[in-house]
Amino acid sequence: MTNPATQNTEWSITRRDVLLAMSAGLVLGVGSLVVPKRYFRMPQKAQAFVAKIQNYQLDIADVIVRGMREIGVSTDELKGKRILLKPNLVETASGAPHINTHPLVVRGAIEAFLQLGSAKVMVAEGPGHRRDTLAVYEESGLADVLTEDRIPFHDLNYITGYDLANTGRQTSMRTLTFPALFKEVDWIVSVAKMKTHHWTGATLSMKNLFGVMPGIYYGWPKNALHQAGIVNSILDINATLKPHFAIVDGIVGMEGDGPIMGDPKRVGVLVMGRNLPAVDATCCRIMGIDPYKVSYLERADNWLGPLSEGAIEQHGETIASMRNNFNLIETIPAHQNLRLA
Amino acid sequence: MRERAWLKRLTRETLSKRFVAGGGIADRVQGQFRTDATAWGILALQSAEEEESVLEKHRGRLATEQDKDGCVSVSHHHLEPFWPTALAILAWQAWPSNHDALSRAVRFLLNTTAIQYPRTPDSPFGHDTFLKGWPWVAGTHAWIEPTALAVMALKATGDAEHERVREAVRMILDRQLPPGGWNYGNTVVFGRSLHPAPDSTGAALTALAGVVSEEKVEKSLAYLQGEVDRLVTPISLGWALLGLSAWDSWPENGLTLVESCLAHQSRYGDYDTSSLGLLFVGAFSGEGKKNGPFFRRSSPKSVIAA
Repeated sequence: MTNPATQNTEWSITRRDVLLAMSAGLVLGVGSLVVPKRYFRMPQKAQAFVAKIQNYQLDIADVIVRGMREIGVSTDELKGKRILLKPNLVETASGAPHINTHPLVVRGAIEAFLQLGSAKVMVAEGPGHRRDTLAVYEESGLADVLTEDRIPFHDLNYITGYDLANTGRQTSMRTLTFPALFKEVDWIVSVAKMKTHHWTGATLSMKNLFGVMPGIYYGWPKNALHQAGIVNSILDINATLKPHFAIVDGIVGMEGDGPIMGDPKRVGVLVMGRNLPAVDATCCRIMGIDPYKVSYLERADNWLGPLSEGAIEQHGETIASMRNNFNLIETIPAHQNLRLA
Repeated sequence: MRERAWLKRLTRETLSKRFVAGGGIADRVQGQFRTDATAWGILALQSAEEEESVLEKHRGRLATEQDKDGCVSVSHHHLEPFWPTALAILAWQAWPSNHDALSRAVRFLLNTTAIQYPRTPDSPFGHDTFLKGWPWVAGTHAWIEPTALAVMALKATGDAEHERVREAVRMILDRQLPPGGWNYGNTVVFGRSLHPAPDSTGAALTALAGVVSEEKVEKSLAYLQGEVDRLVTPISLGWALLGLSAWDSWPENGLTLVESCLAHQSRYGDYDTSSLGLLFVGAFSGEGKKNGPFFRRSSPKSVIAA
């Protein structure tokens, strides 16, 4: 299970980069570290598609197909492939459907991948807060959708795992234990929710992958990853798993005290792309958040993917036309100074 | 009586399809041996009055998985997630032929704690982060279900009066949500009270039965009684039935709920063995026979003193 998008990372060096690197060298030469470390890395390129979609009743599959085609995902590439969609199911609460990825976005993604030639699509999740995955699956409304569509759902919290060497090496964990089910799929797609987060600032497609780590090995609320460092764990999981695609549900997101207790935020947007840091950086800009201030994104920059607006080829709507600042809570340390100028 | 016979037969038949050659129980049909699945399977089969020779075989296999220090982990390759130790104690406690495995597991639990943090005025957490309990995984904080399981296990082995159990009871009470109920173990974060969950609430109530007064948990009992009729999944329903039963509040429609939950496998697929075992244990808990390992409130002598 490898990610061609990662294997064929598009590298390019511009005149601006050379000048920046030279200036960085000069600054280093006088013994200072004032230049952000992103300038010491080879800049990467990626694409993101931003779709305006006002509500969940519209044809989401059509929007996703259009987005995937625009950024070069072909039927040849997906033909016969087994796709695993990983939504964001955390917990449920009365009157708070905006906690979880909306079931109709998951349905749209399923239909889109099947239309583009995939052989099989499955949905899997291992919630961090609720030990009873099936309860969240049922109460979120996803069970109704997948039962009707005859799409299998897998509880990742109880699946026996297999170990991979931790290629991210940001935490002290030498290996990461992933669900054995992952050996049977070709693409892993993070189908995330656009939310603020009281520990990390924002939770989008990269943070969503915490949910693939089985609870039987990492506990609930995946506290072993918290102890190893949330930011470092996000980086290690993404670096080791190498997910293939991301779709972020920002039709109704969550602002304020996310990822559970925040308020609904109607943005009317879906963001997608092959490169998760680029997708998340685009989401942040739409949310009015500076992606360079979100620690795990800043660390991922030009390693797992680019954050710079200039390095992300934007398709669909412009960020400026979709920007809708999410409410941040200044008393929450992870929210302080996140606002994009 | 008819229902009891039906439940006994179903438990034996369903779990026997998951038996592993040589002893132990797999995580699902044609799955792999797992310690938690084996422990829950033993507990369910014990409730179904399975033959002692069958139980002995599975208990013996579980004992082979025990580490030298007494812990029982999810697998030999993953020693840090030691939370099945408490389940193994519950599965072994009616097994006199291996007192050694049981006492080593009890010693391990009593000598192991979670990471604690001194309380600070600016802490974003509402709970007392310094109270000792048990974690899911070594080197992490204490959470509700592993602590509740450890309390149940130590109550069953005659260690209810041990200081670790007393402190764990205080820890569980401290994590009770202001409106009643428990979740995985955070109460208030950044000033917001979090949501309760039926599974965590059922586990906490089972652990606290017999060691605290009803007054201290009445809001949580009311929460769970209000939830139980809508539960259709095995972990939530299993723990809810156990928790209510522990406080003599088993719902009259308990077995109907269990039947409905089992029927939902047509929607969700076959339940994993641990979830199924828990559901069966919850189903049997309505018999009013409070001598099962989950309900043992005292014992004449601690297993480690014997």
